[in-house]
Amino acid sequence: MKTIFLVDDSATILLSISGVLTKAGYAVEKAPSALDALKTFQAGIKVDLLITDLNMPGMNGIDFIKEVRKLPAYRFLPILFLTTESQQSKKAEAKAAGASGWIVKPASAEELLNTIKLVIR
Amino acid sequence: MDEITSVFVTESREQIAALESALLQLENSPGDDDTLNAIFRSAHTIKGGAGVIECSYIVAFTHVVENVLDRLREHAINADADLIALLLGCADHIGNLLGVLESGAAGPDAELAADGDALLAHLQRDWLSNEGGAGLPSVPPVLLEASGGGAVESDCWHISVRFGADVLRNGMDPLSFLRYLGSIGRIVHLETIADAMPEAADMDPETCYLGFEISFASGADKAAIERVFDFVRDDCTLNILPPHSRLSDYIALINTLPEDSMRLGEILVRIGALTQDELEDGLRQQTAVPAGGGESGEAPAVTSQPIGEILVERKVVQAELVDAAVARQKQVTEKKAAEARLIRIQADKLDRLIDLVGELVIAGASVNLLAGRTGVGELIEATSLTGRLVESIRDAALQLRMVQIGETFNRFHRVVRDTSREMGKEIELSISGGDTELDKSMVEKIGDPLMHLVRNAMDHGLELPSAREASGKAARGRLELNAFHDSGSIVIEVADDGAGLNRERILAKAVERGLVQPGQALSDAEVYTLIFEPGFSTAEKVTNISGRGVGMDVVRRNIQGLRGSVDVSSEPGKGSRFAIRLPLTLAIIDGFLVGVGNAAYVIPLDSVVECIELGADGSVRDYVNLRGEVLPLVRLRHLFGMVGEPPARQNVVVVQYAGIKSGIVVDQLMGEFQTVIKPLGNLFRNIRGIGGSTILGSGEVALILDVQALVQRCASREAQRAEGALLAAAAT
Repeated sequence: MKTIFLVDDSATILLSISGVLTKAGYAVEKAPSALDALKTFQAGIKVDLLITDLNMPGMNGIDFIKEVRKLPAYRFLPILFLTTESQQSKKAEAKAAGASGWIVKPASAEELLNTIKLVIR
Repeated sequence: MDEITSVFVTESREQIAALESALLQLENSPGDDDTLNAIFRSAHTIKGGAGVIECSYIVAFTHVVENVLDRLREHAINADADLIALLLGCADHIGNLLGVLESGAAGPDAELAADGDALLAHLQRDWLSNEGGAGLPSVPPVLLEASGGGAVESDCWHISVRFGADVLRNGMDPLSFLRYLGSIGRIVHLETIADAMPEAADMDPETCYLGFEISFASGADKAAIERVFDFVRDDCTLNILPPHSRLSDYIALINTLPEDSMRLGEILVRIGALTQDELEDGLRQQTAVPAGGGESGEAPAVTSQPIGEILVERKVVQAELVDAAVARQKQVTEKKAAEARLIRIQADKLDRLIDLVGELVIAGASVNLLAGRTGVGELIEATSLTGRLVESIRDAALQLRMVQIGETFNRFHRVVRDTSREMGKEIELSISGGDTELDKSMVEKIGDPLMHLVRNAMDHGLELPSAREASGKAARGRLELNAFHDSGSIVIEVADDGAGLNRERILAKAVERGLVQPGQALSDAEVYTLIFEPGFSTAEKVTNISGRGVGMDVVRRNIQGLRGSVDVSSEPGKGSRFAIRLPLTLAIIDGFLVGVGNAAYVIPLDSVVECIELGADGSVRDYVNLRGEVLPLVRLRHLFGMVGEPPARQNVVVVQYAGIKSGIVVDQLMGEFQTVIKPLGNLFRNIRGIGGSTILGSGEVALILDVQALVQRCASREAQRAEGALLAAAAT
């Protein structure tokens, strides 16, 4: 089973996305902040995909992606970030930080799963 | 309400609180980027969550607010007092909309909707109307215009893609795109282009050197095919030719691509995009018009590529500059965030845990008792170890319910700001002890009484700036909220430096209401306590803020309902101070078990100071000499009307409440006891002196003494006696 790691400071988003992913047969790990998530990554959790929000208190998503990419085990990890239409300009920045792609919120379950299929089998 | 919705409502309420406090902060430091970002983020999180639960009316409203906040964040507009007031109104409205969502209604009622429309219209008119080209930057579509020449025969799309070197490093698998492409059509033919691949020794295994020429049969439109490559759009070369494109487009494509033209041509023929004839025809055309054909294909590629790179580079540089600038500030906030990490649990799960721990404590007491009867040393030792562990579990479980009072306090920033404006007063709110913890259920119930006290202090206590200056005080009044722990209680103080309570006016009012007899001599403290009597209000006019006369008695009743008390002290011209005293928890306490006759009683251990033996002289008088101090006594045997003779040796438990000591006379001292508080039935709730009941290990019920009531009873009896003595002395 593929494991997806989800980072978002919004409990609503965490709950809804993890619901969709779990139903679709993925194992889901969650963290409410980039700092929490980073600790888990530093501890070497095995994941197949990371989905993170960009605008979070504490460490923001861009810095988080950069930090994850610095860890050797995750140099090729697919990373998707959550964004909204209003954050178009963020896409280039996040890509430059090492993100693979993005998911536009709010996404339907189908869009979400299709996007995930783009980056993991 | 389903789980997601309830999570959303809770979360959004927190976000609104954060939004409010950030907006208030903005008033002091307009244009602070961190604050602006926090404000935007709060609104954004609410909108995002509302989108997820498909609550359209919250999305619609928050969307406009978010647009304004976005402009604020971009410094396109400035946060002046008007805008902040308006945004605070919007935050309130979102709160109301959450209420609608919670109530399960389909949407806001007409009145609320009208309120929302008015706010939106205001935002739109004043803050968004000159928003000209501030819309989303549209990505120019990559159009491959047909430029001439005959159409080719193939009815397949032709997709030509060269992946960027960093694709693998960005976590993308080129294969996954092809696989996904296969899901929206059929890959008729595919040729892998590995021309960029260097010698094995020079090859970097992390770099992608691959490209593909794909013949693709699909009913999908061009946008859909482009979307497949969305994630690599910026770092790959992608060309898509629709079916039956013109021959010259293919030729232009061949010229654009870095590989050898002849070889590419062959590949196109091989995958069926072009026939051999078409290819030769095309190449002939190209050589015939070298200038036109060459430039249309090559020129844009040469000029546009570097610009793109420069743009990307510039963005990267900007990002790093910004990062460095904020990094230092962030370190501080990150540390805080790490310290205050939270797990969200539903409150009823915690309540269930506390209930179970309560049962465990009772069952543990019973085991302890039985083990004691057996007289088996090992068993007694084992049960006492279990007992200690149960005690630790109890403390840990209760700790889970403890929350800081700071959040409740912070609500008052807004209240004070709004109210002071409304009344034309200048008031500074100072908060201390926000990290003091108390039981969550208590925090919820203390909000209203606290609000009353704060409003009262602002309305009746603090004077207008002119009056303050006239009496030689600073024009700006000071309101303090403070919390601290004091011998098993938490004390919450509301203090102001206003005019203080008016003793004469209170007394006159009390006489008018028949609460006291004219001419009755009362101490200051007694006079001040009168304001807590039902129906008492000295405000000459009823204001919008308080003064309806329903306040203070309700405050006292609410606080007493929490086994707490409220005291007031005041000094004319200097201000007043209200102190709310509450027990730390409502569920389980450490008790001290005592016996009177056949009955057992529990005294909360926090209020016990010491125990002494009652000497022979104590059996007559109602006080004893405690190291030179007069200690009034409460005889439980007498108080509860118990029959039978007291034993020869009685004991006194010295208790203290709010600085006053008194002694409770009991027959036996039975030691410490973990006490699970069970509320009394409705019938017994109003009995003075009893605060609740508990179950002993033997299964018997013991009553918990209300130390506060007993101590106050002592104090008032002392006062009466003193008065009686004075009267007697006057009479003789």
